[in-house]
Amino acid sequence: MNKTKRIVILSLMVAQALVLSLIESWIPLPSPVPGVKLGLANIITVTVIIFYGFKDALSVVLVRCILSSIFGGGFTGFFFSMAGGILSTIVMYVLYSRGSKVFSIIGISIAGAVAHNIGQTIIASFVMKDVAIFMILPVLLISGVVMGFFVGLCSSFLERTLRNSKIFT
Amino acid sequence: MSMNMLKKGDIILLGIIAAAIVISFAVVSTYKRSGKDTDKVAVIKMKDEIIKSIDLSTVSQPQQIEISGKYIQVILVERGRIRFLDADCPDKICVNTAWLSEKGDMAVCIPNSTMIKIEGQSDKVDAVTH
Repeated sequence: MNKTKRIVILSLMVAQALVLSLIESWIPLPSPVPGVKLGLANIITVTVIIFYGFKDALSVVLVRCILSSIFGGGFTGFFFSMAGGILSTIVMYVLYSRGSKVFSIIGISIAGAVAHNIGQTIIASFVMKDVAIFMILPVLLISGVVMGFFVGLCSSFLERTLRNSKIFT
Repeated sequence: MSMNMLKKGDIILLGIIAAAIVISFAVVSTYKRSGKDTDKVAVIKMKDEIIKSIDLSTVSQPQQIEISGKYIQVILVERGRIRFLDADCPDKICVNTAWLSEKGDMAVCIPNSTMIKIEGQSDKVDAVTH
């Protein structure tokens, strides 16, 4: 694939991830616990890992975090989504590259969501300077599995559609 | 519709996460049940500084406490329970948490770095300090 096409597609991916995270911020999720979220932008992260690999996935995540904090996340939000995003991208890439025969896209996405939530809990306990924050971990683990499942499902549909569309040939 | 079926690794992964969920729930509920049931001290913190400690069993009149940091939060204390009543932050997670009355209950505002948590009787604080 030539360089221009790659840049164009990756830019489109950033734009899609950004739109997904904006839409997500409009959906009220009345959660008693901080950190429970849909993680829709992770659909794009998974897709970029599949088609382009780690470096491009990480750049898409970083650019998305920077832009979404400009559009309204604020500095704290930036810090948190950055930490969670980087950790989950690393975990998902390792599982995909080393174990795509053993793990389905759904499993990889669940692992990513759980890693994201654990990462944010660790950051939160540092920010609040209180280990009691870890008491919300059980809830975050469950929400990670549920949200990760749906994100993984969406990603595997998207993967199939993109392969059929022959964009990446 | 050919769905991407779950594979062997997924099952193992889900097993590990399920174990982690069970263990962390067990730890949290053990903590909540430890100590005497009657001693409930609400601790209001901003970063690592304790703003106020209130023994919830001694509260006679409902009272409101205002915290101003990056955002303004209003806390309502009644006998045996406490909550964030209002906040001018965008996500209002602390307000959604509603009432805290059991040991281990916790309401957190990450952007404002504030939290209320309910501890068992603490040796450091009596009725109201700070």
